[in-house]
Amino acid sequence: MSNKKIAVRNLRLCTKDCLCLYVCPTGATDTENSIIDPEKCIGCGECALACPSAAISLVPADYPEQQPKTNIVVSALNAQAQRKSSTEKAASQIAAMVADSGLGYLLEAMARSERLVTEDIMREAGYMLPQSANVRQLLEDLVANPPTPSFPIETAKQLLKLLPPPPPNPGN
Amino acid sequence: MKYVCSICGYVHDEAEKGIPFEELPADWKCPWCGASKSDFAPQEEKEAAAPIVTDAPDLSEAHELQKLSAGQLAALCSSLARGCEKQYKPEESRLFKELADYFTAITPAVEDATVMTIADALKEEIAFYPSLKATAEAAKDRGAQRVCVWGEKVTRMLYSLINQYLEKGDQMLEGKDVWLCTVCGFVYIGKDAPELCPVCKVPAWKFEKISGRN
Repeated sequence: MSNKKIAVRNLRLCTKDCLCLYVCPTGATDTENSIIDPEKCIGCGECALACPSAAISLVPADYPEQQPKTNIVVSALNAQAQRKSSTEKAASQIAAMVADSGLGYLLEAMARSERLVTEDIMREAGYMLPQSANVRQLLEDLVANPPTPSFPIETAKQLLKLLPPPPPNPGN
Repeated sequence: MKYVCSICGYVHDEAEKGIPFEELPADWKCPWCGASKSDFAPQEEKEAAAPIVTDAPDLSEAHELQKLSAGQLAALCSSLARGCEKQYKPEESRLFKELADYFTAITPAVEDATVMTIADALKEEIAFYPSLKATAEAAKDRGAQRVCVWGEKVTRMLYSLINQYLEKGDQMLEGKDVWLCTVCGFVYIGKDAPELCPVCKVPAWKFEKISGRN
């Protein structure tokens, strides 16, 4: 894994003092959509040091793999995730039937709450990082065996193209 | 005697408050998170050791054997969409969102779902947390332990709210809004979002108003 870093800007913290524009040696921070250009950024960190509102941080260009998980923990997490996703479905089903009512709002909030907790569980169950070997494997499996004929296979293929390829020698 | 809220940790100290816990009205709510009186437990009470999960399948060829349901895959993909968004990768985020929407759409409907079935399902989820926690502790997996700490509190709150609804109906929402912490999933009923999320401690702006948005 290389040590290359790139700068990212948190738009909520950015107060448009624009010192990053003055100090960037490659013009990476000056963009029409406020996202620092990862193609131009050389990871020198000058912008992060200069920013008065601490809106810029440096992240690795290549992220490390998630901490290893034991099968037993993954299995227990999955069991709870399965329960929760089914509760989410039940809540959103009823919410759709009683939309724009007190119960509808309460159940919509519950469905979204269950989704957020399930997302957190799935991250801890080995799918924290989009660039991980686990995610790549999952996408490859889905492309090889689509769950239904309507599976958006091109979407999965496009992701496999965009996500960085696995390192030549996966260090498990 | 002290009574502790199982959701946010608020302590009702009888000596300090001058009111015995038993004498608080039945519809008294936790002043921090809005949980019911029944969500409190005496501070001394020690949790009984929960059994750890041992009947896990052998996942040595993990990706082959690990069959995830459509509902789980929906959450997995929406989580990765958010992960890409945080990394400022809008295209990847959009694609993962597409996959999440597909899996959400094909998740099979729950037959004969009622508010009561949701209450029962939440109760089952809460009942499983002690063994999930014990399993994570035995494996020294602190990330999995954190998921248990947040998830259990959020789930207990949902259970508390659904029971409040079963008891009082729409009356429990009169003059109040439904708020969702977009970080941990904590649900709050009140005029305004709490200043800090009682579960994950993020500020009020991380809350989203679910009711009356239009």
